[in-house]
Amino acid sequence: MPEFATLASPYSMPAALHGDVDLTDPEEKTQTRALNQFLAGVELKAFKIAQAALRHEDDALDAVQDAMLQLARAYSDRPPEEWKPLFYRILENRIRDMQRRRTVRGRIMAWLPLRGEDDDEEYDPIAQAPSLEPQPVRRLELDEAVGALEQALGRLPPRQQQAFLLRTLEGLDVAETARAMGCSEGSVKTHYFRALQALRAQLGELHL
Amino acid sequence: MSESDESLTQLERNAKRVLEESVRRIDGRTRSRLNQARQAALAAAGARRRAWFGSFTLMPAAGAVAAALLVAVVLWHREPAGTPPVALDAQHAAAVEDMDLLTDNDSIDLMEGWDGSFYKWAATQSDAGAESNT
Repeated sequence: MPEFATLASPYSMPAALHGDVDLTDPEEKTQTRALNQFLAGVELKAFKIAQAALRHEDDALDAVQDAMLQLARAYSDRPPEEWKPLFYRILENRIRDMQRRRTVRGRIMAWLPLRGEDDDEEYDPIAQAPSLEPQPVRRLELDEAVGALEQALGRLPPRQQQAFLLRTLEGLDVAETARAMGCSEGSVKTHYFRALQALRAQLGELHL
Repeated sequence: MSESDESLTQLERNAKRVLEESVRRIDGRTRSRLNQARQAALAAAGARRRAWFGSFTLMPAAGAVAAALLVAVVLWHREPAGTPPVALDAQHAAAVEDMDLLTDNDSIDLMEGWDGSFYKWAATQSDAGAESNT
């Protein structure tokens, strides 16, 4: 069963997808494993950060995918401890590009006849139906907290939002956040402090 | 955050918990798309690495071709053993004749036994030769 053995390894996936990838070189195998581990560790949080900034799921996925590709193509040979700030720097640039493009598109669309954003999407009654599963009270509380925090985060200025999410969700320290944001550590502290103040003003202590 | 949770305010701790919960709730479709994106990135990194090492594996071949060209150029410029020397132009030929005179033992003998009449005679001979030629 050699085929099954090959497909069972998550690191042989590129070979399975692209046909010509040979991971017989042990050094390449190690580097691929490290990169896979890193990307798997950041992808979900990166998606949440991109989603908070772009407020659009597909755009957020595109931004994360582009950041992954660029990191892999341009910086995969750099030491793994440098990957995280680099990755978030790339993601940040990608998010800014998308926001800029969206602003331009918005200005152009303002001159065109009005059209609903989701006109192309067909109504899916199954997707829209509320879940029939009984939800425990705890889950409802969490639902409310998640919704309230996401809304409050959406109201923050972009730099404050980014500083808060990189520090709180991704767990970067001040120096790493500064590298990811391309600013000084002092600026990170200021953005983070202001974000906390704004969130406290909206949410209190966010009791759960 | 590198700081321990104890140093965080209540809001920071709660926000962290809520954000982690929102990450846990990311649906399967999104997770699958992120996984595909990761595999594409890994493939791109592998391709880049192979292209980089590929350039190194081509270097010996390129070096061999360059060495062969160098040898060909050297051999092409080297004269074969039996080839006659290149014909000299008039100016170079005169210089070579002068060298012959200077290195000739006879001319040294002439210098040692200085004979002014010989040179006068030689001068008239050449002048006469020139006149007869014209």
